Formats: sequence, structure tokens, C-alpha cells
Amino acid sequence: MSAIALQARIARVRIGERDLLSDIALSIPQGRWTAIVGPNGAGKSTLLRAIAGLQRCDGETRLAGRPLANWPARERARQLAWMGQQETGADDLTALDVVLLGRLPHRPWLAPPTSADHAAAKQAMDATQSWAWRERRLGSLSGGERQRVLLARALAVQAPLTLMDEPLAHLDPPHQAEWMALVRARVAAGHAIVSVLHELHLALQADHLVLMADGRILHSGAPADPAMHDALRRVFGPSLRIVQLEGRWVALPL
Amino acid sequence: MLERLIALLLLAVALPATAVDIKDDLGYTTTVPAPPQRIVSLLPSLTETVCELGACARLVGVDRYSNFPAQVNALPKLGGMDDTNVELIAALKPDVVFVAVSSRVAERLRALGMKVIALEPRSYRDVQRVLGTIGTVLGVPDAQRVWRYIEAGVNAAAASVPAKARGLRVYYEVAPGIYAAGTVSFMGETLTRLGAGNIIPPELGPFPKINPEYVVKANPALIMVGARGAQGLTERPGWAQIDAVRRGRICVFKPEEGDILARPGPRMAEAAQIMARCLREKVQ
Amino acid sequence: MNFRPGVLLALLLAVGALAVAAGVLTGSTGLASLRDDGMALILWEIRLPRSLGAWCAGALLGMAGAISQGLFRNPLADPYLLGSASGAQLAVAIALALTGVSAQHSSLLASLGLTGIAFVGTLAGVGLTLVLARGVEQTLRLLLAGVVVGVVLNALTNLATLWAPDILRAMQAFLLGNTGLLGWNSVAVMAACGVMALVVGLLASPALDALTLGEFTAASLGVQLPAVRLLLIFAFALSTGAAVAQTGIVAFVGLVSPHLVRTLCPTLHGWLILLSAAAGGALLLAADVIARTVIRPQELPVGLVTALVGGIYLLILMHRRGAPGK
Repeated sequence: MSAIALQARIARVRIGERDLLSDIALSIPQGRWTAIVGPNGAGKSTLLRAIAGLQRCDGETRLAGRPLANWPARERARQLAWMGQQETGADDLTALDVVLLGRLPHRPWLAPPTSADHAAAKQAMDATQSWAWRERRLGSLSGGERQRVLLARALAVQAPLTLMDEPLAHLDPPHQAEWMALVRARVAAGHAIVSVLHELHLALQADHLVLMADGRILHSGAPADPAMHDALRRVFGPSLRIVQLEGRWVALPL
Repeated sequence: MLERLIALLLLAVALPATAVDIKDDLGYTTTVPAPPQRIVSLLPSLTETVCELGACARLVGVDRYSNFPAQVNALPKLGGMDDTNVELIAALKPDVVFVAVSSRVAERLRALGMKVIALEPRSYRDVQRVLGTIGTVLGVPDAQRVWRYIEAGVNAAAASVPAKARGLRVYYEVAPGIYAAGTVSFMGETLTRLGAGNIIPPELGPFPKINPEYVVKANPALIMVGARGAQGLTERPGWAQIDAVRRGRICVFKPEEGDILARPGPRMAEAAQIMARCLREKVQ
Repeated sequence: MNFRPGVLLALLLAVGALAVAAGVLTGSTGLASLRDDGMALILWEIRLPRSLGAWCAGALLGMAGAISQGLFRNPLADPYLLGSASGAQLAVAIALALTGVSAQHSSLLASLGLTGIAFVGTLAGVGLTLVLARGVEQTLRLLLAGVVVGVVLNALTNLATLWAPDILRAMQAFLLGNTGLLGWNSVAVMAACGVMALVVGLLASPALDALTLGEFTAASLGVQLPAVRLLLIFAFALSTGAAVAQTGIVAFVGLVSPHLVRTLCPTLHGWLILLSAAAGGALLLAADVIARTVIRPQELPVGLVTALVGGIYLLILMHRRGAPGK
């Protein structure tokens, strides 16, 4: 029985007139890769922000058993890393500086990066194949290169739980495969990874799948579970074919 | 229709008798058929000139800043330079409107059928000329008599300046920023008439924005400044060393005095007297 | 062209020192003759504090520009953009109208008082903008709110000048920027404010770095955003308020200095703030020297020179960005 990295019970998240999330009961297992999928507007990004403590919500999230609110900010930042979608800005910083920002929770406020920080940054950038352009400004990188730097930033935190929103944006298949290998390695080391994914065929490779629609969690469980496949078809339409290919589950719209 | 025709004919006959053609400071010629009975003035110095020539009672409206003589304060105030109340002016149905050269309403008022004359005295010669022009418009026979009276006043003021004060180098500050009154400005002319010197040479124009350091270097013997600008003057960096500051020879003019000194108009003699008094008092 | 931060700082400070020397040697009378005894007064009591004061004002504006561009994550942010200048202006206008104090007062108490008033006005203007924009999240909303607040406060300032017309000239001088009467008192006040703002800015600079990745990421990295924002706004308001109180509105220095630094040296915000201060100081002082020398003994308003120079620089920048092959 694996431990629970994060448990969230959220009655709702309301912005303006709309309820973006309702009746959320979520358990993120430790040492596993959890993927969150759903159609556009299902509230996946909102959920990720809410459980990271970045979004005000009507409910409670517990990180490693403690309520999120009880965690001091920096300790929580060392425990939980978060990476958002489509982050603009930071164009003038070098890639290495951006990745080193991920080490902020680990070092005293005004202290310069230590050798441990540099080692962690290098490790993260090697894992995402972005070390080669560490001295280039972020603004001069292509979409894919930039995404790998931002991924490295999230990895450099070396947190037991990492939340990633659409981490594969701008990445072509070889890099997508690299990312999956990376995730597998971290999971094997005992970390938990949660990723919101658009790519259904990749999400089906995860250890644990959470399906969302209209601000609610419709189904959660193992990707191989037939009940999950039914739920997927209900949400994405009957034209979705979920088949096994070379021993792995693949989803195709046909 | 017939009445109109007869009126026009009469006017055509009467016109040559009292009509005058006035060329104003912008080169525009206006025909004034008869001495105006309803006058609007949009510049304080022109208001004062009209009153000085005895036509004060004929003023029906003045601008916001006209404040002399006291009786004009009862008249409707028609706004300042930027926000002249065209509607109100039209409602007053003036026979002639005196405006400043820099006024923006002249065209508008002419388009509404009013007679507009643009005048703006900036120097002694201007004052004399404008007196003559307005005198012609008002049909006053001897406007030059007024001028002679003013000149006599100025000369008397000049005579009252002690010999010690002649040639005294003066610095006149007109506005913060800092702007000085040069030799060719109106105040500068007054100073010259009184026999005093000016640290600002003529080539710098009437109101140059001057480097404060220049004043320190020029070391005036007397400083003239308005009440508002006087605050903190002696504490300006380096100014404690100026001759005028060390000897306390700073004339601070009250706002009303400032008005008189700044307006080239019929109160020129008074302006000269104020300055002469300053020179007399400070050079004891 | 990429400089290392330390090298660029040394370079900018050297340029600043040269400009101070130029400021001391030139003025209403051209190059000074150092033998003339009467010149000693002019040099030490007038030109030196004026030059140092102009440098300080420029440094304050450069710092405020760097902080505001980092805080609002917008490279077009300028110390005057978020209602700060209009707030300071209104406060100064009201103070002038009510107390009759000249805007060119050089005594220490008046300097402090006017600085304090301008600072309060700056805070009020920025606060109003933030309230209107409901926080700093949305840049567009923030800029729009800043424009609205600026327009409204400017209108109120015009109202004040209508009601007390004799402050009009003082306000005009204020609006065009004026370094003419900066004495040692002004330098002291600005230096003190500058040091305070610099310390706060440097303390908060890791947060600014984290903010470049977005508010959510910064929060996820453990940055206490509300507290940090407050600190940064305080530093920003203090520097802008101090500069505006002493020299009026000087265009473009706050906008251009961080841009210049970023072009020459991409770096984290700690260095950026320091370098922007050095760049701003050099820029404003150079503009002041030009303003004093070109039509001496008359002088141009320094805000005019900075607007011209800054405008041309931005035009060149735009031209290069828009040019093909870039």
C-alpha cells in the first residue's frame, strides 16, 4: 500500500459567477505517476493550482498529512513543485539563471547559489537536454527549447511531489519520450509526479489516471481498468478507440 | 425691408463722419463706425487703458484677470486666456471687443459678427501706441495728454532715485524656474528709465530661463522678486554670498504691486514709483 | 554586446564620475578657470551639489524603473506610469496652493517636507491605481488603471491651478523638470531615500526574479507575494517621490535605464536594480550638463533634453527590432 502524497477535498472553486470546480475528492499516491485528463474547460489547470495552494478554494488540501495552510511557505515549496502552462516572461534571464530559480526554496533568501544548487541545476538540465544552451537568454530560445528549460526549473526543486500543467507543450515525440523516461526515473526513486496532459495516449501510460469534466472528477483509477475506458469514451465521445498496442494502451479518435 | 434700406443709407452717409479704420497688432483692419458704447476687454492692461481714457462706464465685460480699477470687479468676468466665455460675450452684444494678440477667440468672435481689435502692449513704446489706438477707437480727442501725464510720473520717479542708486545692478526675478526680467522686458525698461542696471544683458531676450549660477556670478547689488518667489531665495545654494543677499537688499513685492509692475499700461508711472521706492529704501 | 555585471557597473559609475566632472567644469560661463577665486564658491556650492543632485535623481528614477518593470512584469513600465507622477504632482500642487511655499525652496526642512508630501502623493496615486486594477495580476488592466488615475489626478491638479493661479508658473517649472536649485540639502535627502530604496529593492530582488516566471510560479517557490509587493511598492514610491519632489517630472530616465542595462547585460534583478541606478544617474546628469551648456547662460528644462534623448533612443530600438534579419 503506497502512502498518500497529497489529499484534497474541495467543495468548490468559484470565480465570478462560475463554479470552476465542484465536489473534488482527490488522493495523489506517493511514488506514482498520476495523469489528469479531460476535455478543454474541465478545470484541470484550476485543480492543479488549487491543490498546490495557489488558488483560493472552499475546502482543504493535505500535503503529507498536514493541511496545506499549516506548512510554512518555503518548506512547502521544498515539498511541492509546480509548473504552469504557457508562462511568458523571463526573456532576459539566461537559461541557467531560470533553472537556478528553482533552487530558491533551498537556499537562504539572499544567498548566492551554492555548489549543491549548481549540481541540482545541471542534473535537471541534463535530464531535459537543455544544458547546452544554459548561457543563452530565454527569449532567444525556440518554443521547445524554452519548455525544456522550464521543465528543468521544476525538476531542480527536487521536491517529493511535482505538479506539471501541460509539460509536453511544444515538445516533439523524441522529447516527449525523454520526458516520460524522466518521470519514470523519478517515480522509481520514490517521488510523486502529477501531470495534466492533453495527450491521451501518453496519459494512459501513467500509474494512476484522473478523468475530469465540467469541474468534477468523473473517474479515477488505473488506466487499464475497463471502467476507466468506459468513462473516457463517455467524456470524449464514442469515436474514441482504446486499444492495446505492443502491450500498451493507446487512445485514438477514429 | 424698407426700413432696413433707409437705415443702411443713413449709415452710409453717417459713416464717413465718425467711422475710423483701426489696424490692430495682428495687421487686421477693423472699421469702427462710431465710438463704441458697449466695450468688452479681455486683457487687464487694455481694461486699464480704457478706464484711463475715461470710458470705464462703457465697459460691459472684462476678463478674469482684470482687477483695476475697482469698479471693473463688478462687471461680468468672461474667463481667462484659454477658457473665454464666447457665449457670454455674444450675449453682452458689445460694439467692440479688445483682445490680446495671443488670444484664441478673435476669429470666433469675428465670425459671430463682432468687431475685434487685438492689441498687446509689451514695452513703453507699445503703451503709447496702444493709448493712441484705443483713444482713436473711443473717439477721445487727446489721448496723448494721458501719455504725457504718465511720462511725467515716470520722470518724477526717476528723479526721486538717489544718486547712489544709479547704475546699481539689479536682478528681477519674475517666476520660479528661474525666469529673469531682461533689459528688453517691460520691467527692464522701467529699471533703465530709473537709471538702474540689469544683470541680464539685452541679447538674452525679455524673460530668459536663467542658470541660477549666473546670478551668483553676476553678483547683483539689489534683488527684486514677488512674494511667492521670495521664500527660500536666500537659502539657494551659493546665494548667501551675493552682495544683495548679504546686505539684505531684497525688495519683495506684494501681489498687487507685482500686477502693476508686470502690466505695461497706464499704471506705468506707479510701477516706476514702486521700483523707485525700492531703490531709495534699499540704498540707505 | 554582453558585459559582466561588475564590469558594467564600473563603466557606468566611471561615466557618472566623468559627467560630474563635466558638470563642475561647465555651467553658465563655459569651462571654468580654476584660478579664479570667485569660482570656488560657484564650483563647490553650486555646481557640485547640482551635478551630484542630478545624478541622485537619475539614480532614483532608474531604480524605480527597474523595480516597477520587475514588479509589474512589463518592460514598458516607467516610474510615472501608475499614477505615481500625477499623485506626486497633485500633492505638490495642493501643498503649494495651501502653504504658499515656493517649489524651489532649498532649506532642509522644506526639502524634507516637500519630499514627504510628494512621497505621500506618489503612494496615493499608486494605491489608487492598484485598487482600480484590483491587484497586479493583469498587466493590461494595470496600465489602463494607471492611465485613468493619471488623467483624473492631472485634471484635479489643473483644478488646483485654476483655484490658485499663482502656482501655475511653479507647476510649469515643476512639470518640465528642474535641477537648477539643487543644493547639498537636496542631495542629502535624495541620497538617504536612495539608500533606503536600494536596500529594500535588493532585499526583495530574489522575489522579482521569481516573479519573472509568473505569479503562480513565484508563489509555488515559497515567495510571500503580498508582503514582497508591499515592500517593493514602498521602495518604488519612495524613490519616485523623492526624485519628483526635488526635480519635478523628468521624462524617460526611469523607462530607458533598465532597458539599456538589459540590452548590455542580461542579469538577475539584484544587479539590474544597482546597474539601473548607475545608468539613470549618468543619463540624467549628462542631460543636465547638456541643458546647462547649450544656450548658456540660459538653460533648457532638463526634462526636455531627456525626452528628446530618450525618445530618440527608443526610436532606434524600435527600428532595430523591426528591421529584417533580427
